[in-house]
Amino acid sequence: MNGELLADVFLGAAALFVVLAIVLFYRVAAGPTTQDRLLAVNVLGTNTVVILALLAVGLDETSFLDIALIYALLNFLMAIAISKFTVERGGVL
Amino acid sequence: MSAIAYSLAVFVLLSAVATALFRDVLSAIVVFAAYSLGMAILYTYLLAPDVAMTEAAIGAGVTTILLLLTIARTTRPSAEEVFERVDVPAVVVVGAFVLVLATLLPDMYAVGTQDAPIWGQGVLSETPTVHYVQEAYAETHAHNAVSAVLASYRGFDTFGEAVVVFAAGIAVLLVLKREVFA
Repeated sequence: MNGELLADVFLGAAALFVVLAIVLFYRVAAGPTTQDRLLAVNVLGTNTVVILALLAVGLDETSFLDIALIYALLNFLMAIAISKFTVERGGVL
Repeated sequence: MSAIAYSLAVFVLLSAVATALFRDVLSAIVVFAAYSLGMAILYTYLLAPDVAMTEAAIGAGVTTILLLLTIARTTRPSAEEVFERVDVPAVVVVGAFVLVLATLLPDMYAVGTQDAPIWGQGVLSETPTVHYVQEAYAETHAHNAVSAVLASYRGFDTFGEAVVVFAAGIAVLLVLKREVFA
């Protein structure tokens, strides 16, 4: 009973973070520069890690933490690739 | 469906529409990464962590870099306006298609229900799904039923897929080795 209530709290928190992602998406769509969008998507990535961790607790599935870990590890890749692309045009890797 | 599913659906829809409408390709690539994030959470929420893991690895890493390489090798059209003008006939066609799919939606069984015909009731008690779930370990010694189907029951099919992916990879490498297209 108590555990179920706790799981609901975690799932509710995850839902709130998803709503936060929708609010953040305003910055992604509005821009105005590509760098603004890039930073906003980076924050969305961090947000995703938090949501996945909350889902892992709320749904009692520890394997979800692996997905959160993958995102935490790979989140910086796009920022670096696009930064390099902007600074030296043509260079990506 | 709970609050998470609905708000996730809103987020995915927003990012998909934004990806389609952005005029600047670089911005579209960035927004597409946001779409991929939403889809990964959705897959996780629907209890498909293997698909979510693939989406995480592909969406966060490979897709962005491949698309960036593409615009580095080709040209990036610059434009004044931020958003593409909406093509009304295309929207009508897509809207009609979505409407048809939406009318079919209420007839679908809920996720994970035991009433679905795939689990076999009455005459159909021996469906392929039931067979795979019950016999997969005895016949293939794979602990995961999905792996058993992929790698054993339809092994040749998976082998063909691997050949296609390998050929596509070689083709991409060949194209990337060439000089920048004018």
